[in-house]
Amino acid sequence: MQVAEWLANNLFGQPVILIGLIVLLGLVLQKKNTSQTMSGTFKAMIGFLIINIGAGTITAALEVFQPMWAAVFGLEQQSLGEYQGFEAFSSRYGGVIALAMTLGFLINVLLARITPFKYIYLTGHMMFWTTAIFAGIMVDTLGVDIEINRWSLILILAVIMGVYWTLQPAITQPFMRKVIGSNDLALGHTSGSVALLGGLAGKWFGNKENDTEKLKVPKGMEFLKDSNVIIALVMGALYVVGAALLMLSGAPGAAELMASAGDNNFIVFSIIKAFEFAAGIAVVLFGVRMLIGELVPAFRGIATKIVPNAKPALDAPVVFPYAPTATIVGFVSAFAASLIWLVVLGAAVSYVFVPTMIVIFFHAATAGVFGNATGGVRGAIFGGVITATVVAWGQYIMVTALLSSTIPDTAMWAADSDMFILGPVIKLLANIFRFLL
Amino acid sequence: MKILAVCGLGQGTSLLLKMNIEDVLRDLGVEADVDYMDASAAKSAAADVIMASPQLAPLLEGHSANVIVLDSYLDKEEIKQKLSEHLES
Repeated sequence: MQVAEWLANNLFGQPVILIGLIVLLGLVLQKKNTSQTMSGTFKAMIGFLIINIGAGTITAALEVFQPMWAAVFGLEQQSLGEYQGFEAFSSRYGGVIALAMTLGFLINVLLARITPFKYIYLTGHMMFWTTAIFAGIMVDTLGVDIEINRWSLILILAVIMGVYWTLQPAITQPFMRKVIGSNDLALGHTSGSVALLGGLAGKWFGNKENDTEKLKVPKGMEFLKDSNVIIALVMGALYVVGAALLMLSGAPGAAELMASAGDNNFIVFSIIKAFEFAAGIAVVLFGVRMLIGELVPAFRGIATKIVPNAKPALDAPVVFPYAPTATIVGFVSAFAASLIWLVVLGAAVSYVFVPTMIVIFFHAATAGVFGNATGGVRGAIFGGVITATVVAWGQYIMVTALLSSTIPDTAMWAADSDMFILGPVIKLLANIFRFLL
Repeated sequence: MKILAVCGLGQGTSLLLKMNIEDVLRDLGVEADVDYMDASAAKSAAADVIMASPQLAPLLEGHSANVIVLDSYLDKEEIKQKLSEHLES
């Protein structure tokens, strides 16, 4: 009993140790040499802790963005209420996330082996975030103060993830074949739902003859290549516009907010916050890279041994080269639509939408490529607009109704299309399996 | 030798390229360290060779490494051919 308790406290209570052990096992199974095993294990552990640090920075920057736009819209000083935040949540449930992700992948491999859906999901960073967000919904549904049966939670999450990672590529594959002109790879990304909707909208309302790739993209659009720059630029613009409107309006609460800038000018203060947001994203991505880079090759090694004829389901950018102009058409239309939703959501439901550029870019670009494959330019535009709509309303529902007590801060910038679409289903499943947890 | 695989976000696609480069290196019997990251990070990272798409390669101008432009990250034949050309030169 004492041994079990010691293990529970020091292993499952310390996700970073557990993650180290999972990666260590993966590297040993791959027969890596001692030096590679050491550095891989250490990097994964450090990476996991870096994610928390970046998440804290992003949340701090959003603590200015939210009330600023809330005051501009004249909303009641709405706060997120009591929530754990990613740092606290991952120190409690990080081990659950890591184990559910690993077991979920093995379920994906098993399903690929025994069903006709021969797809192996290999986009590791999305595997991590989807599992984390779904864990956030499950824990929120059951109540954060309740002692949850961790093994049941891990198993239920693992089955959900395994089924999702097998079916999402299968469902998008008919359109994927149109996009890439072959059946060799699949899409393994949380933009699956908007890619599908973009493809359908293109088919119903588009005109395939009018292909985006016949358009000429102005040279000025080429800055869209560096994600760090786009995030800082767009968030910078939104912070500055918000700050300027706030200073002009003299809305209630404005004086208090502006006082938080201290001796600095409020606009300068806001610009710095926007760049802190971008810096936080860069830090999180660095951490995820260190963590996932050691796991995915091990995953691929296992999969190719067990399911030799499997098709890899890959990250969204694999489709971009098939229609580079459609990616930009999709992104630009999604960006325009998300600005409209920012205003509409503020006015209609008093929610300050955080339009995160990584989500909007990668999802809208993918939906744009799928939309173009079935419906040309009009399809690509539909793909972008659909993405913005799913992301804006999805974020509102996710943050306010699905995981408001656990990680709403994370859902504002790391949750995306498929997670929004499946979120209510996860909540329902948590309620159905309540007796197990 | 240090090789960097680069993509837009430095998360998924470049990791795939890293694994493909490692497969090719094994075929060629060449020992090298392969890492993956986004273009901004790669700009300030030490490397001998960087492999990137035609869209991202211009962002790496001025880097001391030899930047190899790849049309497809999934085509191991292309990776093999361009990497061997570099090794011979």
